[in-house]
Amino acid sequence: MHDDRPLTRLLRAAAVMAVLAWSLVPILLVVTSSFKEPRQIFEVPFRMFFIPTAENFTTLARLNPEFFSSLRNSIIVTLFTVLLTLCASFAAGYVYARTKETAYKVSAVFMLVVRMLPPIVVTVPLFPVVNWLALNDSHLILILLYAAFYVSLGSWMMRSFVAQIPIELEEAAALDGASLWQILRLVILPLAAQGLVALTLFVVVFAWNEYVFAMIFTTSNARTAPVVIGEMLSTAEGVQWGAVFAAATIQLVPVVLIVLALQRFLIAGLTAGAVKS
Amino acid sequence: MIAQIARRIDIRPLRRDASARDRQHRPQTRHGFYILLLLPAMLLLVGLLATPAVYIVWLSFQKSTLGQDPAFVGLANYAALVTDGAFWRAAWNTFAVVNVIVYGELAFGLAVAVLLRRVETGRKLIIAAIIAPYAITESSGIVMWRFMMEPDVGVASRLLDGLGLVLPWDSEPWAGLALACIIAIWHHMPFTFLILYAALLSVPKETQEAAAIDGATAWQRFWKVEVPIIMPAILVAILFRYIFAIRLFGEVWLLTRGGPARLTEVLAIYLYRETFQFRNFGLASASGVCMLLLSLLIALPYLYRMAKEVRRDA
Repeated sequence: MHDDRPLTRLLRAAAVMAVLAWSLVPILLVVTSSFKEPRQIFEVPFRMFFIPTAENFTTLARLNPEFFSSLRNSIIVTLFTVLLTLCASFAAGYVYARTKETAYKVSAVFMLVVRMLPPIVVTVPLFPVVNWLALNDSHLILILLYAAFYVSLGSWMMRSFVAQIPIELEEAAALDGASLWQILRLVILPLAAQGLVALTLFVVVFAWNEYVFAMIFTTSNARTAPVVIGEMLSTAEGVQWGAVFAAATIQLVPVVLIVLALQRFLIAGLTAGAVKS
Repeated sequence: MIAQIARRIDIRPLRRDASARDRQHRPQTRHGFYILLLLPAMLLLVGLLATPAVYIVWLSFQKSTLGQDPAFVGLANYAALVTDGAFWRAAWNTFAVVNVIVYGELAFGLAVAVLLRRVETGRKLIIAAIIAPYAITESSGIVMWRFMMEPDVGVASRLLDGLGLVLPWDSEPWAGLALACIIAIWHHMPFTFLILYAALLSVPKETQEAAAIDGATAWQRFWKVEVPIIMPAILVAILFRYIFAIRLFGEVWLLTRGGPARLTEVLAIYLYRETFQFRNFGLASASGVCMLLLSLLIALPYLYRMAKEVRRDA
């Protein structure tokens, strides 16, 4: 089947290199430039080799100390969004996997309908209510909104993972006198672990990177890292590229590594959530 | 199926051991338990998304300004919307940008998927590299692309200038939107790629071999045999990307702020500025309803299919 003429192989290798460059060059450029001296950043010709320096990171700490508190906010929001989304989705997904009654099916489809709503649209009516509840600029409002947006995908993912667990296991546990809670916790939860990891990955990427809600619903206390990076790009005094690169590098490296380490779960989750054949 | 048969065979005799009382109570406690389990998810969805979505429809028929009671104005907000030039500009921009993004991504993602199927060495690492942009936030993505495209000094803008392809994204509306499209494609291509790649891998080898024996060229085999087989996956990718691309906000906002002179606004930016800058809740909610209906309309085939599937799945 494989066409192994040298020219074909060469063209194929060139195409792969082009795709790799397209995906990676923007990322590598920012990460490596964050270790350059500021005057080297726009140097012509482009400087491939240089002595790494932490200068941009100290500049970042001096000019934008709020970036580090925003990083802490991102960590808090991501952590609790994951917890809430996992609990709510696991519970709902279990129900959808184990019930046949119409009411449950209607609610499962309702979840999908809600998932189609554009996020920006709900901010209009939510904003005054959030203000009135004094939830503006709090971690809580971001956690609740992020969980609400991912709980439908999560429930459907968990539904397909739980459905693969034989019901006989539950029946055996019930005969042994296990309560419904115990069955859920001790039988289903460990067996659905793979699904939970897949869902965690999706939620981490979403909550860690989300921009629109964070920009609208936070002002200072709960501002997350992506919003602060956005602000650093739109200063009137001109962009401090070195500091921006340092911030972007700190923000993106952990989550890129997580995604690369867990990429097989990404594929499993995508096929469970989106393409159900 | 097999699980159901196995249950009928194995468990029935054992079940007789359970007391009659237990059996009577079970269905009810089960439903109570299930409803309890559904409660957190439903509260989140209804409280934070569904209710606001319904409320904005009501809001779009009201005249509402800060500190005043709303008053019913019928279709006045919609009438104002259709006479607002900025809205039509945003709608047209969204239409153009979304189509470029969706089909650009589809063509690119499909090409990469086909290419990768032929690659044997280091395939896992290559896939990892292709997925990487998925993990990056819009604002960091903009940092990268603005740096590369910085007029006169950026690596990519110098390269393009050298080729005679000038993309003056900071002054020309079309160029600003074009760069936003490029960044959005860079950002979301991993999603399209993964769906199409998974679909291509599931095409049975035999169908290809059969076509090859019949004398079909590689090109014919791809378009006449494989593309029809992976069509469902292609449609899912297109539909999902349409729904998500309509939400496009960060890429344009961080690049041009919708300027110059509101010429690069897309619907999400129009909605944002009418709400949070101009405090024009009438126009904002009317345009919000338009976005809502558009999204649901596009999602309809998918929702319909899923509903049918859930119903059948008894």
